[in-house]
Parts: sequence; structure tokens; C-alpha cells
Amino acid sequence: MKKHWVARLGVLGLALSLLLGGFAAKPVNAASDDNTFKVGMEAGYAPFNWTQNTDANHAVKIQGSHEYANGYDVQIARKVAKALHKKVVVVKTSWDGLPPALTSGKIDAIIAGMSPTPDRRKTIDFTNPYYISNLTMVVRKDSKYAKAKSIADFKGAKVTAQLSTYHYQAINQIKGVVKEPAMNDFPAMRVALESGTIDGYVSEVPEGITAERANPNLMYIHFAKGQGFKTDASDTNLAIGLRKNDPNKAKINELLATISNKERARLMNEAVDNQPSTEKSGNWFMAIMKQYGPMLLRGTGMTLLLALVGTLVGFIIGLLVGIIRTIPKPKKLGQRGLRAVINWLLSLYIEVFRGTPMIVQAAVLYYGAAQAWHLNMDRTTAALLIVSINTGAYISEIIRGGIISVDEGQFEAASALGMTHLQTMMKVILPQAVRNSLPAVTNEFIVNIKDTSVLSVISVSELFFSGETIAGQSFQFFHTYLIVSGIYLIMTFTISRLFRLIEKHLDGPKDYNVMNNQMQVETPKIGTES
Amino acid sequence: MADEPLIQVKNLKKSFGNHEVLTDINFNVQAGEVVSIIGRSGSGKSTLLRNINLLETPTGGDILFHGKSILGEDVKLSTYRAKVGMVFQSFNLFNNMTVLQNVMVPQQTVLKRDAAAAKTHALELLKQVGMDPFIAAKPDQLSGGQEQRVAIARAEAMDPEVLLFDEPTSALDPEMVDDVLNTMTALAHTGLTMIIVTHEMAFARDVSDRVIFMNNGIIAESGTPDQIFGNPQQTATKEFLKRYLNRV
Ligand SMILES: Nc1ncnc2c1ncn2[C@@H]1O[C@H](COP(=O)(O)OP(=O)(O)OP(=O)(O)O)[C@@H](O)[C@H]1O
Ligand SMILES: [Mg+2]
Repeated sequence: MKKHWVARLGVLGLALSLLLGGFAAKPVNAASDDNTFKVGMEAGYAPFNWTQNTDANHAVKIQGSHEYANGYDVQIARKVAKALHKKVVVVKTSWDGLPPALTSGKIDAIIAGMSPTPDRRKTIDFTNPYYISNLTMVVRKDSKYAKAKSIADFKGAKVTAQLSTYHYQAINQIKGVVKEPAMNDFPAMRVALESGTIDGYVSEVPEGITAERANPNLMYIHFAKGQGFKTDASDTNLAIGLRKNDPNKAKINELLATISNKERARLMNEAVDNQPSTEKSGNWFMAIMKQYGPMLLRGTGMTLLLALVGTLVGFIIGLLVGIIRTIPKPKKLGQRGLRAVINWLLSLYIEVFRGTPMIVQAAVLYYGAAQAWHLNMDRTTAALLIVSINTGAYISEIIRGGIISVDEGQFEAASALGMTHLQTMMKVILPQAVRNSLPAVTNEFIVNIKDTSVLSVISVSELFFSGETIAGQSFQFFHTYLIVSGIYLIMTFTISRLFRLIEKHLDGPKDYNVMNNQMQVETPKIGTES
Repeated sequence: MADEPLIQVKNLKKSFGNHEVLTDINFNVQAGEVVSIIGRSGSGKSTLLRNINLLETPTGGDILFHGKSILGEDVKLSTYRAKVGMVFQSFNLFNNMTVLQNVMVPQQTVLKRDAAAAKTHALELLKQVGMDPFIAAKPDQLSGGQEQRVAIARAEAMDPEVLLFDEPTSALDPEMVDDVLNTMTALAHTGLTMIIVTHEMAFARDVSDRVIFMNNGIIAESGTPDQIFGNPQQTATKEFLKRYLNRV
């Protein structure tokens, strides 16, 4: 199955795998020295995998979180782990993060509704299929198409499918069909079907089952052998992704062979039954909040933590780098050489971290370090580290600009009074430079709130990833992202207001009243004593 | 040998790249002396002051303070600069501090005075320059003349042995010039050693013990105010003064 709606990320995924390909030469041993079988998935792609709040229906705990994963993929993962005599653990990772997580050894397998395409086979191995997701046609039970056995029976029928999927291309295989414009999502197609606007829509079998359960007036067609759509195995087969030369591959294939087609269908029916459904009745906002409020809250918390710590630590890094880079040239030759080297290193740091996307930095630090040096970092620590270092690079330049913009006379007056460089910086220049830089730092903070969303690539569940999960399993893309945007706006708006207040406070009162201050002079009475 | 001069400038040279601004400067300043430096714009007056304070590094020659070179490796720059204060044409008050902090903080950081002592000293000096009602103001809430008086108090607060003034009134509106000049006159009467670059000829004549006329990077003529203003020897001095006196 191809993930149609994540096609945009393909380029990035390719860049990442190329980048990490450099490390791939070195074989990585099993991620789990202990007795766990770590499975990577998005946990937001129902009915294959989704996130839920309880361990109901044999759900499996998501590593480092209070949530559980369930779905067809999770049940397969449980069977595989059992055959390997290991304990199954789910690592929730964004789609792009899955291949590097596997090759770097952060996970042992990808079971995420992934198809073994030739491109993917270049970097990872696949088992035999654990599910074949054939194309079907969803129709009304009472229509004349209900008894169809072949795609040829749809001659003259009005048929559609989801936008930019191979499902929609497949309609061309039906001779004499009336191809309707593609539609955005399944709920819309179900409505269109029920109202008679269309006679059927092409989807994969899991959606057929889902439609049947959701609406008793609908059914999906079981095409006779050889009478259905002709499809490419790389579109329909779902297989387990493994590291190249994984010794467990044969054992897993053996196990998969024992799971009959009937059993697979049963597991899929069960998954469809258990998948979280968002109430269609009542207020959509309340429905989403009721079901996913805690997940959104946790995501918001993580986003705030990343942005806050990142901006704060980045600010400190920026200050230090700013101070070091503006130290006047020392007289001694040796010191001058040292200073040149340090300055060169600092500008290298700034160029590298400003010049590469944060998503790549995160992947290199988290997966690359694991692959190259077996350095296993906690993912939240890695995320905080990356945001801080990345922000530090930007703020260094902001502070440097702030320092340069302070009037030369301020430096001269401080030196003429005998202040050292450090004293001048701390007492005179930095307070002014920081004040001048505040608007730009606020900007960095706001950028961090939004841009930390890329950290889902290293399995950090911040707000955007939470939104993606909810949208993926509730199929309410528009409504979910509307809520997520609202949360982002509230955060960014609050922060920019807050910083305006800080700026105002730093500036002090606008006008000076001599009369008020004369009284202040009266009080100390120190001047007259000496 | 009578009193050793406080400052001795010997064969001082300063070039910026190929541009030689100071060719060969020689003069002494005795403790308690008030010396005015006059001369055409671009003649190197500011450069000379900035070399004495080591804001610029001399390209040649030497400067002695209490008979000891200030260019040696063992001289602690911050200690020397605290003893040789400077007042700038553009005041250069610290914009992030109040008037009181401007005068207190340098004492605390450089001289390590405790806050109470620094404050007592600061209030005393601010009162002398008539700025005590403004101790809580920020520099951008003051007029130029007020800023310059605070800058003078700030320099004084370090208890310097010498104060250098680089055209302290040039950036001021005429009605504020007198405030600052009066403050400086009062300072001169306390016996403080002062080197003043100025275009205020009347002030130079009335307050200085000695006047130095600079021309093209050298000292063209120097002497008492009476000698320089009453009976200048060099044609350059005469021309310079004629232009100035005509203007006034
Ligand atoms: N940092 C510098 N780099 C290059 N040239 C300089 C620098 N500072 C001063 N100069 C040059 O040195 C010469 C003397 O400058 P200086 O500021 O000492 O003159 P001045 O006598 O103080 O003049 P004014 O009365 O206008 O203040 C000028 O030609 C000036 O361009
Ligand atoms: Mg000058």
C-alpha cells in the first residue's frame, strides 16, 4: 500500500536514507540486547495501526509514553514477537523516521502498512507479505451492482476514488465506466454513494470492511479470481521491514506462512471493529476534544517544552558565542592564532547548523550516532539537544548583530574607565545588545514552536505529530488540523504578547519626572554625610 | 631634579596605515597642571588624547606615567585607565543605566568599591555638577549638557590623577556650553591635572596653565595663555587664532 498523503515527504526520506546510507556499511546488531522486539510504526494509520488510551483489545504499550498502539499491524507484531520468544514494544515514529530508525538499530522491524517497493529494498529487507490489500469496489446493497463479480460488470456505472491514489488510476481498467471526479476522503465518498451521486468507489479491502460496518446500506464486492483489478504487488503487498541480513527473517517468514488467509481476514475484521471511531453526531469540536484532548494536550506540552528549552539554551549559547566572537584581537601571536582557530570553529558551527534542515540534524544525531558509534540517546534528550544547538546558531548571529549595533562610543567609554572586555560586555554592551535582539529572539521562539514539528522523525510526539495521528485514525483531516492550528496560534500569540511586555518592562517608564525623583534623592541622604 | 612630570610624551608617532597623523610629539604635563590643546580640525588632537589613554596604540615613541612607560608588557591597562579618565565629545553615557548607575557601576566593577561607598561618592559628585535631581533618569531623557555633566561626574568618580577632555562642549547647543565649562572650571580649581582639547578659546585662556597649538601632527607652539593668545610666534598659530577671534 502506498501512503498517498505522505508523498510530499518522499524527497526528504530519500535525502535521509542517502545521508544515512553512508553509515549503513557498518552492520548494526539487534537494537534490543534485552529480550524485547521493538516495532516501528506511526500508530496513526487505522485500521493498520493507531493510538489509543487504554490497553483494551490486546493493545501494546508505546515506548516512553502513556499511550497504547493497536491495529492489524500490532496484532501481527505480537505474533512475530511470540515466535521469536521476545516481548513486543511499539516505537511510535513518523513515516520518514522509520527506515533510519531501523538501519540505525533503534527498532528491530517496521510493521507499519509498508509496501516493499524497489526503492525501499535498496536500504532494507522485507519479509513475505503479511497482508495483501486488494482493490475492491464499495457499492449500495440495494443497487444492481451489489451482485457484481467482475470489474466488467461496472460498465456504465458512475465510479470515483480518492484523489491522487493508484485507486483512481485503476478505474481506467473498467471498460465503459463513467469516471467521476476524484474525491478527498472516504466519508465524503460514502455520503455520495448513499445519496446516489455515484454507484461505487474504488478502495482497498480494509476500507470496504470499514464502510460495511459503518453503514449497513453499503457493502464491498468480492471479485471472482482473475476478475478484479490488476494491481502491482508493490502497491498491494504489505511486508515487514527488517535490517539487511537479519537472521530472524527466515523464522518470521515461517511464522507468516502459518497465518492463513482466513485468519488474516479475521484479524482485519477485528481491527476494523476495534479502530477508534469519532462520533459523527453532535459537535465535531467536542467529539475530537473528548476523544483526543489528552493526546493534544501532551503534544502541546512537548512542543512547548522543546521550544522553551531550545530557545532558552539557544539564547545562552548565542550569548557565549556572541561574546567570544567579539573579543578584541589579542596582541600576542600565539593567542591570536588560538583565537583565529576558535573563531573559525564557531563560524563553522553557525554555518553548519543554519545551513542544514533541522530534520536532517535530528536524524543524524539520533540515528546516525546510534549507527556509527552505538550511541543510544534518549529521544527527548536528543530532541532538546538539537533544538538548542540549532537555535544557538541562529541566536549567535542575532546577538552578534545586536553587539555590533551598539554604539562604538559605549565600548570606548567603558574601556576608558578601565573596564575589561568581559566587564564591558556584561555591564554595558550585552544588556543593550540583548534588548535590541529581543524582537528577533521572540521570532526564534515562535519559529521553534512551529519547526519542532519535524522532530517527529525521531519519534518525539509533539503537537503536529499528535495531530497527524488523530487525523490519520479519525479521517477528520480538516477538523483535526483546524484544532491543531488553533493551538499553535494561541501559543505563538501568547508568546509574542509576553515578549512585548518584557520589552516594555526593560525600557522602563517613557518620561522622566524630576519632581518625583527629587523625593527619591531626599531619602538616601548619603551624599551629605561625607 | 624638581618634580617629576606626571605625564611625559616622547617622540610619539601614530599612523593609520600610510597616513601619519602624529609625526613627533613631545611634551610634559606636571601634576596639577591644566593644559589646553588647540588646533585645526584634523591636526591630530583627538588622536593624541586617545594615545595617552591607550584607546589607540602608538606606532612609535613612548608615553611615561610617573616616569614609567605605559607601553610595557607588565602595565595593567585597566588600572592605568582608571587613573587617566576621559570625557568624550559625544558623552557616551551607558544607555542601559540610570544616571546614578552610570556613576556607580564603574567604581564597583573597576575599583571594587562596595555599593554604599560607590553611591555616597556618586551622589556627592552628581550634586557638585548639579545633576542630583536626575539620578533615576536614563541618558536619553537628558539634554546634551546634562549628559556631559554626568559624564564628567562619572570620570571623576574613579578618583583619576588626570582627566582628558576631547572637545567636551562641541556637541552642545550654545546655551548649555556654559554649564559644562563652569563645571570644568570648578574642577580645574581643585588642583586636578587636566588635558583639554577645545575650540573654546576664552575658556582655554582663562583656565589653562599652558596652551599647546597643534598643526599637521606636531606641536607647532606652546606656552602660557598670555604668550599664545597675546603674542603668538608662529605664522600658523597667528592665522589659526585670527580666524577664531574673528569668528567670536
Ligand atoms: N581610526 C582612524 N583611522 C584612520 N584615520 C584616522 C583614524 N582616526 C583619525 N584618523 C585621521 O587622523 C587625522 C586626525 O584626526 P583627529 O581626530 O585626531 O583630528 P582632530 O584634531 O581631533 O580634529 P577635530 O578637531 O575635527 O576633532 C584625520 O585626518 C583623521 O582622518
Ligand atoms: Mg577631535
